[in-house]
Amino acid sequence: MKALQIERAIARFAAARVASSWRAGAGGRFLRVEDIDPPDLPGQGWVRLYPRLAGICGSDLATVDARSSRWFEPIVSFPFVPGHEVVADTGDGRRVVIEPVLGCAARGVVPPCPACAQGRSRHCENLSAGEVSPGLQTGFCRDTGGGWSVAMAAHESQLHEVTMPDEAAVLVEPMACAVHAALAGPANGELAVVIGAGTLGLGTLAALKSYRPELSTIAVAKHPHQKRWAGELGARAVVEPGELRRAVRRATGGWVLDNGQLSGGCALVYDCVGSAASLADALAVTAPGGTVVLAGMPSPTQVDLTPLWQREVRLAGSYTYGPEPAMGGRHSFDLAAEMIAEHRLARFVSAKYPLERAAEAISHAAEAGRRGAIKVVFDLRGEKRRQMEGK
Amino acid sequence: MFTDRFGHFPLRAPDWPSSVPRPPKRPDLGVHYETEWARKYPVRLARALYTEGITRPFVAAVARPKVRGLDRFENVDGPVIFAANHSSHLDTPVLLAALPDRWRHRLVTLAAADYFFDTKLKAVYFSFALNAIPLERNKVSRRSVDLAQQLAADGWNLLIFPEGGRSPDGWGQEHTAGAAWLAARTGSPLVPVHIDGTGRLWPRGAKRIYTGETSVTFGSPIAAGLGRDELQAQLEKAISVLADEARTDWWQARQRAANATTPSLLGPKASAWRRAWQLGASPKDRARRRSPAGHKSWPPKPFGR
Amino acid sequence: MPRPGFVLEVERSTPPVLMWHGEGYRLERLPAERSRVIYAPEPLAPLADPDAAIQKALAEPVGDSAPLPELLRAGMRLTIAFDDLSLPLPPMRRPDNRQRVIEAVLDLAAQAGVDDVVLIAALGLHRRMTDAELRHALGDRVFDAFAPSGRLLQHDAEDPDGLTYIGRTDHGEDVEVNRRVAESDLLVYVNINLVAMDGGHKSTATGLMSYRSVRHHHNVRTLQHSRSLMDRHNSELHTSAWRIGRLLNEHVKVFQIETTLNNDAFPPQMSFLQKREWEWDLRDRATYLASSQGLSLLSPTSRRSIFHSIKAPHQMTSVQAGEVEAVHSRTIANLHRQQLVDVEGQTDIVVFGLPHIGPYNVNSIMNPLLVMCMGLGYWFNLYVGKPLLRPGGVIILSHPTPWAFHPVHHPSYIDFFEEVLSVTTDPLEIEKTYEERFANDEWYRHLYRTSYAYHGVHPFYMWYWGAHALEYAGSTIIVGGDRKAVRRMGFKPATTLADALEMAEDQVGHDPSITYMRCPPVMLANVH
Repeated sequence: MKALQIERAIARFAAARVASSWRAGAGGRFLRVEDIDPPDLPGQGWVRLYPRLAGICGSDLATVDARSSRWFEPIVSFPFVPGHEVVADTGDGRRVVIEPVLGCAARGVVPPCPACAQGRSRHCENLSAGEVSPGLQTGFCRDTGGGWSVAMAAHESQLHEVTMPDEAAVLVEPMACAVHAALAGPANGELAVVIGAGTLGLGTLAALKSYRPELSTIAVAKHPHQKRWAGELGARAVVEPGELRRAVRRATGGWVLDNGQLSGGCALVYDCVGSAASLADALAVTAPGGTVVLAGMPSPTQVDLTPLWQREVRLAGSYTYGPEPAMGGRHSFDLAAEMIAEHRLARFVSAKYPLERAAEAISHAAEAGRRGAIKVVFDLRGEKRRQMEGK
Repeated sequence: MFTDRFGHFPLRAPDWPSSVPRPPKRPDLGVHYETEWARKYPVRLARALYTEGITRPFVAAVARPKVRGLDRFENVDGPVIFAANHSSHLDTPVLLAALPDRWRHRLVTLAAADYFFDTKLKAVYFSFALNAIPLERNKVSRRSVDLAQQLAADGWNLLIFPEGGRSPDGWGQEHTAGAAWLAARTGSPLVPVHIDGTGRLWPRGAKRIYTGETSVTFGSPIAAGLGRDELQAQLEKAISVLADEARTDWWQARQRAANATTPSLLGPKASAWRRAWQLGASPKDRARRRSPAGHKSWPPKPFGR
Repeated sequence: MPRPGFVLEVERSTPPVLMWHGEGYRLERLPAERSRVIYAPEPLAPLADPDAAIQKALAEPVGDSAPLPELLRAGMRLTIAFDDLSLPLPPMRRPDNRQRVIEAVLDLAAQAGVDDVVLIAALGLHRRMTDAELRHALGDRVFDAFAPSGRLLQHDAEDPDGLTYIGRTDHGEDVEVNRRVAESDLLVYVNINLVAMDGGHKSTATGLMSYRSVRHHHNVRTLQHSRSLMDRHNSELHTSAWRIGRLLNEHVKVFQIETTLNNDAFPPQMSFLQKREWEWDLRDRATYLASSQGLSLLSPTSRRSIFHSIKAPHQMTSVQAGEVEAVHSRTIANLHRQQLVDVEGQTDIVVFGLPHIGPYNVNSIMNPLLVMCMGLGYWFNLYVGKPLLRPGGVIILSHPTPWAFHPVHHPSYIDFFEEVLSVTTDPLEIEKTYEERFANDEWYRHLYRTSYAYHGVHPFYMWYWGAHALEYAGSTIIVGGDRKAVRRMGFKPATTLADALEMAEDQVGHDPSITYMRCPPVMLANVH
């Protein structure tokens, strides 16, 4: 079957790293469509899936460009097929989206770890144990395959059946992340700042509008289409990164001090970028005692943490999804599906590529903002599916 | 790593054990600074070279002093005490440059201990360059006076600024008792000196020095035989008369001195702006005013200078 | 004998004309047969002995006023206020008019034994002056006599303890003035009248009052009814300022000293900037070529530093002292002698080349709001009678209009540009929705009072300054301006003057008449 696969090849990593420092997404040139065997079903409760659409996520781009943190090394297993934002067909005629985290249930670990027992599989302590190879999610694991291929494997516990169109369904996973991030902030306050207006940033804005309507938001967006979207999703002000500090000051009062930090600031800030610059901006505009929710995947960066200490700012990570206590325990995936319908977010899908045009797709995704896109996906609906059950 | 290997005694100075009391450190700066080395022959020679080679050319370039009244004290045999008004750091170099060789190379300057002797570097420099000895500003300490007395006995001339510090606004200040004290104790005659113009070139607090003309006027020696208060009053009056003489001429100054109408050096008792205004325009101010076209605008200076 | 200003009809043989473009200048060719260029009168001969003229003016005042020496006595409280950094433009070489006049006043005060003298820079809502700027304006002697003892002050329109409310005019305008001024036995105001807008009661009514007073004449209504700003009898702003000034005069004795300058704005090395193009000699042409080529090689920052170091060789052409209104009418007569040019009829398109400097960016950056204020506020208003432009005509400005702001001097401008103008460009709407918030912003207040920042509402005044032109003109085009910045202000960017003229035809029809006002030097069009 056709798949894009990432192997542990030092030369490729080095080449991708060099190339991507020249131009983001250039690592995609070193990906080849390969013909590999579809993954065997690792155990009880696993089914085969045939991806229809598979999104390209920021963490995928970091992997392709060889810029991921080395933190992931023990919790991924090479070679793997990327792709964890997937809408797929099952063999028995259902259309599903997958919840890619590979927790105790998928790994066949009995009894499950305390986190999984409470339904928080994102906090699973057995990511490198059990009958599946190490891998924090589908799409980073040798045994499961991933969305960037014709066929993959998933555990029944990962499946959420959907009826919505494919373009909406492929966004459920990333939007669930956004919902989870939006709900990760403390529940009081009037104003929130959302830094970044890619898929995650806009999703966070949408989630705040749907589930935290009492908050007004200031969105930071670089590109014209992002600004339009941010405005449509209810941001009360949309500003460029360089204008953020003043915009927050206008909304909250106080002073801009000499080196750009605010004397006061906003109690709740979402960093949906995860770069050193966005974190520094976030810390500069967070009020004393406030919270920065780190929703975007950070790369290894250097950030001055003095404000964190001096102003008792909480820096809260936000990873994936699960039952949301703030919403009465409803699952982020269900909340995301409702939100996608409410705001017609299927429009986020800006371009679809076949696997053969992976290099183009990756570079489009890496330069999505500049090129007027939000979400770029692989379209696998036209691929031939061989009957593989017998193999 | 480096400190691990090399950071220990004996490569580093030892720590003092906390159970052993430290002996108190003997003060060696300020009024306690020992200046005797500066009067040894090799240092005197070096100072003579420094004075002739650097101080005098500098004064000639910057201040161009006009000297009057040297004849009034050239017949005095023994050492004397020069007492001058004080408005600028230029006063001492200008006076040094104005004195004849005989006095110039045998002069000790009494300088404020808190200003000139507060760091080791300054203390060394001023003892060398000006042959300065430390003096407390507001009281006459036994140590200073004993030293001055001894120096006078050894034949050194002394230079003292009885106003106790540079003028804050360009006008003179009331005298302290120091000069009269010294004269009374050493028995040397007091030579009143008036230095004019240095306050304009390098006033207190200014960031740069301007060039211009100055004048130094020496008066007749006042014998030390009088009482201290009497000496102090005579000295103040003598310097005022010299100032008058420098600005007008000797005859007018004499007449006014006889009528007791010599203008006071202390300035009018009025608000700060009028005291400043009465001093008139400074040389740099006049220069800018006289030739506005001389203002250079092209080539331009850097922005936001 | 200096030649008067005149209007040149452009023919095919007319050489291209010099047009300012921010920190630089270009030669532009205007369409023949339908374009006119207005040239300013040549610089008048200065007073032969300005110091003597000042002494004479103080001793023989005009209007209902005793000579200054008679007004001074020991024990009195004397306050001398003077125009701030915004005048003159470019800053003049030493000695500044203010220095000459204040020295003469102080000599008289010293003779009379006046101890309690305070100098106040009449900033209004402008930024504070730096020590170097004060020293340049006042001279070393005055600065050194007053600054160290804290008797050289700068007006603070937001000082809760430094203002005195003295009443309300019959039109309901609050008069709240600097407390030291209110408590003085005599206020001597020293002015430089660069344009006809300056001086008179406006000096005190803007320079020494609080925001509470200034807002009565600095608002959209008065500015839309100031036809023009340079003609006080037809200016609502001045009418209001006059009422306020008269009330102040009832409480404090004011002795006004006004001076005028000739329009000799550039140093002799750059004299071609003031010469008519057909009179340029070899040296002028060489200097033009060398300087414009050289400038094009430099970064904007270094160009700015070069231009801001220019000190103009302006010289005093008149000085008058005494009662405010009598003084001011003489001043205006003297000013007209230098600046007035007769122009026959209005025009479809008016073209202005904006220079590197305006009243609010001395030693600073000419940001887009200042470009707007300069073009639509000042240059457009350089008329008496009726506007040079016909109603609905097009204004073409030439300026690079960078999206750049001086962070220290213009903090509230940045917010105004980023926030307010992204929502609306309508002056009335802006005034209604935003002015109060900016006026009460604690940060702007802090920066205005302690740093070197313009007051929080100052960018609003920039916009109001152009309010009359905004409603009068059909559209505004900025040649060579930064596209984003120009669009943010609701104007149209054009690459070249020719393009701008083409674009303007959409508004005013084919073969429009064009008038180019060749400022600087400043002039005043008397349109018949």
